[in-house]
Amino acid sequence: MSGLLIERPLPHGGRLVERVVTDKKVARKMIQGCPTYEIKPTLHYETGVPVRNVYREIMSICYGFFSPVEGSMKQAEVERVLKERRLLNEWIFPYPLVFDISKDDLNKLGVTVGDRLCLTLKGKPFAILDIEEIYEIDPEELAYKTFGDPETNPEVVQQKFDKKHPGWVIYRSHQPYVLAGKYTIINEPKLKPPFDRFWFPPRKAREEFDKRGWRTVINHQTRNVPHVGHEFLMKCAAFTGDVEPCHGILVNAVIGVKRRGDYPDEAIVEGHEAVNKGGYIKPERHLVSIVLWDMRYGNPLESLLHGIIRQNMGCTHHMFGRDHAAVGEYYDKFATQILWTKGIPSFGFPAPPTEVPYGLKIRPQNMREFSYCPTCKEMAYSETCGHKREKLSGSFLRGMVAEGVQPPSIIMRPEVYKVVVKWWKKFGYPFCNEKYVINKEKELEVDLEDL
Amino acid sequence: MAYFMVVLLDDSRMAKLRGTGLEDNIKYMFGGELRLLEVEVSEELKDKILAEFETARVDSRGAITDVPVAFMRELFNQVVEKKSLGPEVVEGVLAKVDEIKEMAAKESEYLPPPDIETE
Ligand SMILES: [Zn+2]
Repeated sequence: MSGLLIERPLPHGGRLVERVVTDKKVARKMIQGCPTYEIKPTLHYETGVPVRNVYREIMSICYGFFSPVEGSMKQAEVERVLKERRLLNEWIFPYPLVFDISKDDLNKLGVTVGDRLCLTLKGKPFAILDIEEIYEIDPEELAYKTFGDPETNPEVVQQKFDKKHPGWVIYRSHQPYVLAGKYTIINEPKLKPPFDRFWFPPRKAREEFDKRGWRTVINHQTRNVPHVGHEFLMKCAAFTGDVEPCHGILVNAVIGVKRRGDYPDEAIVEGHEAVNKGGYIKPERHLVSIVLWDMRYGNPLESLLHGIIRQNMGCTHHMFGRDHAAVGEYYDKFATQILWTKGIPSFGFPAPPTEVPYGLKIRPQNMREFSYCPTCKEMAYSETCGHKREKLSGSFLRGMVAEGVQPPSIIMRPEVYKVVVKWWKKFGYPFCNEKYVINKEKELEVDLEDL
Repeated sequence: MAYFMVVLLDDSRMAKLRGTGLEDNIKYMFGGELRLLEVEVSEELKDKILAEFETARVDSRGAITDVPVAFMRELFNQVVEKKSLGPEVVEGVLAKVDEIKEMAAKESEYLPPPDIETE
């Protein structure tokens, strides 16, 4: 075999974390006599609107998306992550992940180190948390330190974080006590349609890649209904690879708390699926999947998490765009590119994450954008021809959709538009309105059976 | 023409436009895939729109954008009704300003979906 061939990387940390008990009898025994605690959504510290649900972190940890993280982090680990973006076992990781509760709840529970806590979700047993440490945090300090600031991280942070940043708000809204320890899911939640058919946890994703004969796979991160510009990014990014273009294109949609004006998650996943159902990319070459996570919008830090998730899923390559997972102008537009090409020393990366010890193996593919060139008469890469372009701006397209005007197929494929309208009819709105945002956090993406 | 508003045309709007005599004024983008009309807006009407709708703005080309969806729908209706692209179209829209504002207030929670087959 050619030495140039790229092999699928091992999971981050060397092995997949899998903490899911599927035998109900065993599970029932595990929670016998344990105190129980119903998981609550994290509410915005000022407005009371739900901004996060820790159940999504428990799912992503126990199914191995966040390998090698195994649970709610201890104090020393949170401190190390904030300082060097490394776990106590040395592997790189961008964000603190903790199980936070209020003082009242802690007192009511009366749990202590060594106790096992049974976490329920929608009233049903869901997971256990084996408590190894209990400590207090200052949510505001945690919020600032998680994202960095212009003094400490001058390479990429341009502006002090504040409550206009949804990720900062998530950490600022954490409760002040942390129960640290490993999570284990003891009652597997069932993903609700349409999410169930897009559920490919890392082990299943790797098995699916094997089945399809995909050695090389490039990931496309999304939280949007795809327009033709996205489609061309996927098509052309897939020409990267080794001696041949990437075998597979994995779309991995981040499913979690929504902001008003986003497209509904249902339309996002089915919209991407419509790209392959419509044949624009052959279904044999394209797979749509999801990960549960309340986006922190940490641009370079988020890109690091994305790299970890997709390496765990078995991808060899990852596309990163300008303003990757960004909101506002807190970070440099090219902060993600800077991280993956040079590193960001103040975040603990004197070199790119693929070139530091205990780093990543997934290969970044930094991409700009596609727009229509009326001279070349094609969708053209922004860095290729020098003609004046007709840009596919998201807001132009959203305006068109809101007006009920079907976008031409050179902008949005009719199959994708039909999906948008299908969910528009269901929710009475093409984008996430207040009702959708609130209902989603009430109903979540899963249902649980009795144990 | 100093100021204008863009009316996007899909197949269903094209059907309604037939016979208005405005077909010759259609402009094309995206290789002829996107059809649109430009409605003339006078200085005075532009000021009125900006005063009535706080989200409205004028872009670098002189196009007035970011008005409520209800405004844009009515704009098309008026084009068809008046069979024109002149200032009387926006005048016709502004004559219904109260109705539009009422609909715009509901727009953040409800928008009528287009009547197309989905599944
Ligand atoms: Zn060109």
